[in-house]
Amino acid sequence: MIRFHWMLPKAFEVRRGQTPREAARYRIESIQLDSPSPKPDMDGWLEFARVAEDAGIESVLISFSRYEPEPFMVACAMGQETSRLKYIVAYRSGLMGPTSFVQQINTLSALIDGRVAINIVAGSSAAEQRGYGDFLPHDERYARAEEFLSAANAFWREGHDVDFDGRYYKLEKGTLHTPFVAPDSGARRAPLPVGAHGVRPEIYVSGHSEQSMRLAATQGTCWLRAADTPESLRPSVARMRGLGIDVCLRACVICRPTREEALRVAQSLLPDDKRETTIALKNDSRMYAESGAKDEWLNRTLWTGLVPHYGPVWTTLLGTPEELAGAFLAYKEIGVDQFILSGWPEVDEVSNFGREVIPRVRDAERRQVA
Amino acid sequence: MSALRFHWMMPKGGEVSMKSAQETSRVLTTKKESPAAMPDVQGWTRFARAAEESGIESVLLSFSRYEPDTILIACAMGRATPALKYIIAYRSGLIQPAPFVQQINTLSGLIGGRVALNIVAGSSTAEQRGYGDYLEHDDRYARAEEFLAVCKAFWGRTLCAPTATTTAPNGRGAQRAPETVAFDGKYYRVDGGRLHSPFQSPDRTAPEIYVSGHSPQAQALALSQGSAWLRLIDTPEKLAPIVAQVRERGVEVCLRLCVICRETRDEAVAAAMAMLPDDNTEKEERGILNRSDSQTLKQALAAADERGWMNRNLYAGLVPYYGSSSITLIGSPDELAEQFLEYKKIGVTQFIIAGWPKLDEMLIFGREVLPRVRQMEGS
Repeated sequence: MIRFHWMLPKAFEVRRGQTPREAARYRIESIQLDSPSPKPDMDGWLEFARVAEDAGIESVLISFSRYEPEPFMVACAMGQETSRLKYIVAYRSGLMGPTSFVQQINTLSALIDGRVAINIVAGSSAAEQRGYGDFLPHDERYARAEEFLSAANAFWREGHDVDFDGRYYKLEKGTLHTPFVAPDSGARRAPLPVGAHGVRPEIYVSGHSEQSMRLAATQGTCWLRAADTPESLRPSVARMRGLGIDVCLRACVICRPTREEALRVAQSLLPDDKRETTIALKNDSRMYAESGAKDEWLNRTLWTGLVPHYGPVWTTLLGTPEELAGAFLAYKEIGVDQFILSGWPEVDEVSNFGREVIPRVRDAERRQVA
Repeated sequence: MSALRFHWMMPKGGEVSMKSAQETSRVLTTKKESPAAMPDVQGWTRFARAAEESGIESVLLSFSRYEPDTILIACAMGRATPALKYIIAYRSGLIQPAPFVQQINTLSGLIGGRVALNIVAGSSTAEQRGYGDYLEHDDRYARAEEFLAVCKAFWGRTLCAPTATTTAPNGRGAQRAPETVAFDGKYYRVDGGRLHSPFQSPDRTAPEIYVSGHSPQAQALALSQGSAWLRLIDTPEKLAPIVAQVRERGVEVCLRLCVICRETRDEAVAAAMAMLPDDNTEKEERGILNRSDSQTLKQALAAADERGWMNRNLYAGLVPYYGSSSITLIGSPDELAEQFLEYKKIGVTQFIIAGWPKLDEMLIFGREVLPRVRQMEGS
C-alpha cells in the first residue's frame, strides 16, 4: 500500500475559513520577522493532527530551519498528545555530534512509542549553515553526512563500544544505554542485524544530487525528492529500489471536484509580482538549481507553475479525485510507494484528500491484489 | 532578602518506585540493564506533582550516557506538569550553540518558559570521547565559555520585538532588519546567525544558567557566563568567603546536597548509618571517582575521607558509596531549617536537594522543613 505523509503546517497556519491563497501566502511569509510562525502552536497542530489521523495520514514531516521551532521538541510535544500519527523530524548533519543525536532520537522514540523517523538534509543554504556554525562547502557536507549517519547507524546496531575514526567525527567507545524503541509496525525496512539494539528509525535522505542518492543508498532507508513525472523518475527509482531503498516524493496537492476548480485555485496561488521568489535563499542546493527552467505542465496532473516562485517542493499534483488517484497509482507502478504532501489550507486539503483521494487509491490497490 | 529557592534532583528512571537507598545508588545506574536507561514518565509525573505540592520550584535533570536525553525529558515532563521548572544539565561540546538555543527556545514556548540550564563542561574523559569530544579538562572550560557566549548572543537578539522597520528586499511589505550573531572563537564560529524562535517566558528573555564545578575554571565560567554557581555543599564557615566573592560579582550561589530529616537527630543519624552498603559497592564507586578528572569529585572524596562529620549536621560519610553529591544535611526539622538559614546568612540563595527514598524524603522536606524555613524567613 502507498504510504501517505503530510507536512506539518507552520505554526498558527491552521485557521478556519482561509482561502488557499491566504494560506499559501502565510507559508511564504513565514520567514519574515513579523510572522508568528517561529513560536510553537500546539492548538493548531493538534487540530491538524486529529484531522490528518482521521484522513489516513501516517506521518507528518516537521521541517527544520532558522525560521521555525525546533522539530525534535515539536515531535516530542505532539507525540505525547497524539496516539497514531508518526513524526518525521528533519535534521541537518553538522549541528550535533552523532552520539548526542542518537541519544535525543532514542529518548524521543521511548517517549512517543517509537513513532519517529528522520529526514536528513545535508544542509541547504550556505548562508543559513554558517549561521549555525557550519562552514563546509556543499559537497563536503555530503561526505560529513555520510559519516554522521554511519556513526549513528553503528549506535543503532551495537549500542555500545562504538569506535569511529572519520574525517569529521571521531568516537572512542561510544556508549548509550537508552535504545531506539521501534513502533509496533515499524523498522520493517531497516535491514540491520538484530542484536541487543539492532533497531533503528526509518531514515529519509533528501536531495536531487547524485550524492544524496548515494547517501540514501548507503545509510538511509528512503530517498526523498520533489515530484517529477513517472517517466523521468523511472530510472532513478528503479536504481534505488534495486538497492533496497524506498522512494518518497514531496508534492503539493490541489484536489477539487472538477479540473476547472482545481486550476482556478492553482492560479490564485501565483504571486501578483511575477518576479517574486524565495529560491535565492537556498542558492547552492541542486534541487533548487534544477527548478525553474521547466515547462509549467509536465503532464496533465503535474504542474510546476509555483516552483520558480517558491521552490521545488511546490511541485503540484492537480486535478479531480479520480485524476489524482490515477496519478498516485502511476507512481506506484514505477516503484514509488511513499509521498509527503501539502496543500492550502492544510487542514481543508488533508481532510479532502482523506475523504476523496485515499479511498480511491485503496480501492484500486485492493483490485490490483485481487 | 528574597526567599530561599529549593530545587530537587529528578530521580533516575525507575527510582521513584524504589524503596531502598542501596537500590538507587549510582553504581547500579551505570549497569546496562539499569532501568535508568528508559524514560519513566509515569514515575516522574508522580514525583513532579509531589514536588509541586511540596513547594519545590524546579527539578534538575542529570545528563549522562546512561540516561535519556535531558532536553527531551524536560519537554515531555513540562507538558505533563503545570508549575514545576526543569533545570536541564547539558554538556558543551555535544551540539553547536545555535541549534542548542533553537531547541531550548522551542522548549520554552512549549512549557511556558519553565526551563533553566545547568552547563557542565564535561565529566570523565572516557565518557566525553564516546561523544566525540577529545578536549582535556581545561580546554573544555574554554570551549564552554565560548559556547555560552554564543548562546547568550542569540538570546540577546531582539528579533521578535516590533521595533525599527525597513523595507523588505522584494519591496513588498515592511520588515525589520535582522540583527545577526557573529562569533569568531577558537571552538565556535558563527556568521550571520539568526534564529526566529524566541525564548518564551513570562519574566525572562533567556534561561537561568547554572554553571557547576569546583575548579578555578568552573568558577570563572560561572562568573563570566552564569546566573548561578552550582557547587557541592560545605560548612557555612568554609563557604562564606567564596560565596561573598561570587555574590559581589552579581552571581548567585546554589548548593547541591542531600537531606535526611527525621523527627529527632538520632533517628536521622540512624537512617544515614543504615545506608552504608557492602564493600563491593564501595570499590566500584571509588573506581568511578578515581577515573574521573573532575575537581568536584576529587574534593568530595577527600572530604569524606578526612572529615566524615563536617559539623553537627553535615555528613560526608556517604560519598564513597553514593557519589560526590551525597554530602548530607542530617537532623530534625528544626535543625535543618536553622541550617538553611545559616546558608542564607552567608549569601547562598538556592539549593538542589536529593534524598532517599527519592519521593518520601521530598515529602518530609515539604511538610516539615520548608514551612519552618518560610516562617523563619518571615520573622
